Amino acid sequence: MLSFLRIIKFSLQDIARNVWLSIVTVTILLIALFSINTMLTVSAVSDNAVRAVKEKIDISLYLKPDASENDITALRERLTGMPEIKSVAYISKQDALRTFTSRYQDNPDITQSLRELGNNPLSPSLAIVPTDFENTGNLINTLRQLDSDIIDSRDFTDNSSIVTKIQTITQRVNEIGLIIIAIFIITSLLVVYNSIRVAVYTHKKEIEIMRLVGASNFFVYMPFLFSAFIYALVAVLIMIAIFYPFLTLLQPYLEVFLAGYNVDLLEYFVYNFWPIFGAQFGAVFFITFVASYFAVRKYVR
Amino acid sequence: MITLLHVSKKYSRDNQVLQDVNLHIEAGEFVSLVGQSGAGKTTLVKLLTGEERADEGQVVIGDWDITRLNRHEIPYLRRQIGVIFQDFKLLPKKTLRENVAFALEVCGASNTKIKKIVPSVMKIVGLEDKQGRYPHEVSGGEQQRAAIARALVHQPRLLLADEPTGNLDTINADEIIDLLQRINKFGTTVILVTHNKGIVNRLSKRVVTMEKGQIVSDKAHGKYLL
Repeated sequence: MLSFLRIIKFSLQDIARNVWLSIVTVTILLIALFSINTMLTVSAVSDNAVRAVKEKIDISLYLKPDASENDITALRERLTGMPEIKSVAYISKQDALRTFTSRYQDNPDITQSLRELGNNPLSPSLAIVPTDFENTGNLINTLRQLDSDIIDSRDFTDNSSIVTKIQTITQRVNEIGLIIIAIFIITSLLVVYNSIRVAVYTHKKEIEIMRLVGASNFFVYMPFLFSAFIYALVAVLIMIAIFYPFLTLLQPYLEVFLAGYNVDLLEYFVYNFWPIFGAQFGAVFFITFVASYFAVRKYVR
Repeated sequence: MITLLHVSKKYSRDNQVLQDVNLHIEAGEFVSLVGQSGAGKTTLVKLLTGEERADEGQVVIGDWDITRLNRHEIPYLRRQIGVIFQDFKLLPKKTLRENVAFALEVCGASNTKIKKIVPSVMKIVGLEDKQGRYPHEVSGGEQQRAAIARALVHQPRLLLADEPTGNLDTINADEIIDLLQRINKFGTTVILVTHNKGIVNRLSKRVVTMEKGQIVSDKAHGKYLL
């Protein structure tokens, strides 16, 4: 216990008395973490945007205006039972008209035309949300072959090509994103590894003196390894303190850029707090620990 | 106290630094080890601190044969030997008091023991008023005193001084030698490695002269011959 307390004391004393070296080390860790988090943000934005676009895809079955409630309910239940379908929403004539008029309330030509028609020209419909957007093509094929007297028209001919395009784009974005993130992480970790080695190098003489006065390997290694822990912890905490306000500032611009789509970065990073920052702390601590261990080992021999 | 029997050491095939060295030093002796650069003095000190291993022969300190010391035993050996160097080797980011205390902290001494021993050792070397200063805030002589205090804090039976006056002016050098003599009077064996002819001659103690890795002279009350 006394040894551990002394190791913590030596480590904290060293961090405080070599304050510039400590600041530089933490700054390098921070830059590395910021690069990684920026890449994660870009990746999260693209994932969210693609998902939001996919969710906007309408797969609708338009029903005959005189279709009975019983037939509609039966068809809806039949569809809901399909494994490819997540949910089916019934949009009545009135609902469709309400949505339509609200969407085009600023367009006097359309509102005038509707008024002149005198009745509701829109059909009731069933809006279908697929279980898996990747397999929308299969669902569309199934719906095309669906046999029902109350179906007036099926509006998904164009969607299949959009879905295919989105799937291609998503796949490319994911592939490129993964490669870029991997490059960033590897580069950052190499930079961190090197800076820790340099930091330990500046203590080369001290390690020699520690050995000279009879310090065991445990006493030589442990303060450096504990400092590695402190550096990683401080860097991740500062990163968190910087990154959330940064996301808060970024969010309004993102909302403007992706108007109409629900992309909430802050929520994403809050929801994934532990996986993201826990993993980052783990990775940074691991690399600083390994770098410190090997650097000290070189001078202990 | 110290026995070297037929000790030889090579750094490479063409670099024989010690050759069949035989030396016996009794407990409580003050021995000056002299010789030109490359004579093997520092290698001999390194064998005694476990920093180097003899290729041949036997090195014994007290009852402990340290010839084939394994790496884990080295810290224990160093806690029983005090070593001081020309360049003081103090930790620059620790105060003089912390430097001295550090030698006790790393071997697990209790805080009570440290609080008791460190001030008294600082007093012996005359640094009681400068304990809170960093090495760069005091003179070379004071740094060497702090290094001596650190070497003494374990109450070692052997003190190895490798060119302790090499970086000091005459006044400070004389003070350090006086301090080593006082330490020797308390019963600690002192081995002084030096080039300083004046100091060796003034001491009038045992002088071991080395040349090309061999002991060429060993006089009980010797002079600097080279």
